Amino acid sequence: MAIQEAAVGKVAEAAQPARRSGGAGEAWSGVPVRLISLTVALTAWELYGRFLLNPAVFTYPTAIARAFAQLTLSGELPAAAGQSFQVLFVGWLAGIFLGIPVGLLMARYRLVERSLDTYVNALYATPTVALVPLIINWFGFTVLARIVIVFLFAVFPVLINTFQGVRNVEPNLIEVARSFCSGESRLWRDVVLPSAVPYIVAGLRLAIGRALVGLVVAELFTAIAGFGGIIERSTSAIRYDRMMVPVVLLMFVGIGLTEGLKALERRLAPWSSRLR
Amino acid sequence: MGILTKANVIRAASILLTLLLWEWVGRSVNPILFTYPVAIAGAFYELVATGELFGFLWQSLQVLAYGFGLAVIAGILLGVIVGRFAAAEYAIDLQVSALYSTPTVALVPLIVLWLGFKVPAKTFVVFLFCVFPILINTQQGVRAVDRGLLEVARSFCSTERQLWRDLVIPSALPFIVAGIRLAIGRGLVGMVIAEFYTSITGLGYMIVRYANNFETAKLFVPIVTLALMGILLTEAVKQIEVRIAPWRRLREES
Repeated sequence: MAIQEAAVGKVAEAAQPARRSGGAGEAWSGVPVRLISLTVALTAWELYGRFLLNPAVFTYPTAIARAFAQLTLSGELPAAAGQSFQVLFVGWLAGIFLGIPVGLLMARYRLVERSLDTYVNALYATPTVALVPLIINWFGFTVLARIVIVFLFAVFPVLINTFQGVRNVEPNLIEVARSFCSGESRLWRDVVLPSAVPYIVAGLRLAIGRALVGLVVAELFTAIAGFGGIIERSTSAIRYDRMMVPVVLLMFVGIGLTEGLKALERRLAPWSSRLR
Repeated sequence: MGILTKANVIRAASILLTLLLWEWVGRSVNPILFTYPVAIAGAFYELVATGELFGFLWQSLQVLAYGFGLAVIAGILLGVIVGRFAAAEYAIDLQVSALYSTPTVALVPLIVLWLGFKVPAKTFVVFLFCVFPILINTQQGVRAVDRGLLEVARSFCSTERQLWRDLVIPSALPFIVAGIRLAIGRGLVGMVIAEFYTSITGLGYMIVRYANNFETAKLFVPIVTLALMGILLTEAVKQIEVRIAPWRRLREES
């Protein structure tokens, strides 16, 4: 069944961080090479952009830094960040609050699973971006439209991973718990939820990445508010230094949120290290 | 097992109920905002009959095929190099994680700027959406080779070439195909986004145009087409996955 396999890709994807940071020694030995590579790339970009390129074609790192300072001082960037983060978190939380309960219900009750799995699979396979113009027609160029878009991007990874986590509980453990007369609520508290938590947190992590994509699509499309608004307006004004500011910021936000959730994953479910 | 299992009966009942409800509610709402299944079916028939749907679909598929094909080639090649040589990994892993974490959509205006509004720009957008899952999974696959087997092969004087052919490639293959499966979904997203922001071609353009004209029934035609494409392409890669690496068959439903 399709829904069952959705998380396999996740595991293959999620398998990445732990292996890479295998031993502390291995990680440190890479630092000089990384530094050199990064420095070379940035210097080459700076020199090429500053001396050889027309600013109407592209920009260079120090110009982006200057634009960053300007946009921050003028208050434009903080305002945009406020708008963007508000939409991002409200939409993401809405995805969590719907995704986890529905995932649990689908995993617990066959009837719920079979009535909903066709839709979940179909909607998850649909490129959510295709729905963006429709949602904007429905809700207008409002905050609500952007929240709904972020929600739609975020809800499915949470739902599917929750479902998957509950389904992948070791059957032996359930049998043992049942044999010792564990009640339904104790079974959930002591066996099912602890083994589902790592999957759920991994789902939250996938969801925040997708939520960011949804946020930018929504903002580029409406071109009024947030980071996407700055990107769109600066591109039209041929101010590529300004345009790159939100792009670089979004990169750091993406890395920061993903790493934060990875840390949370280790905190909440240190017993799941084998998953990663 | 026949097709008439209890599970499928429940699924069919659920779908039927939803469609009926949608039809009933949809007919009572202003057609500018919402629509209903029969109207969508009518619009579908109309767009197929005029050849419009297939024209746009063909443009979209071309872009998808170019971008995805390039991503598969580049992703596997780079992934193998990065998985084999630690120096290569250290040299590019920061940049790869940074680009993978950046919402790729944010780069689309930039790409349009550089490559214009035509096929190359769209191909590049699709490529950027597809390449990272393939690269990272390939690297993971090469890295995940069983150390014990590696030692045995080395002890029996396996050459580098034999090592790759007999051990590394077979054990990396399931990872690579899983990466390709992730990539195809992202590729579809990239394709639609590229078409939203560039010139007037493809399914993405159909969506924007019908949305702007508030022709909601017609708007659903490319959306449904994209949903079907998503399901079919993912299923196809899953079939390949089972074919190509039957020793890693996924757990059956209990």
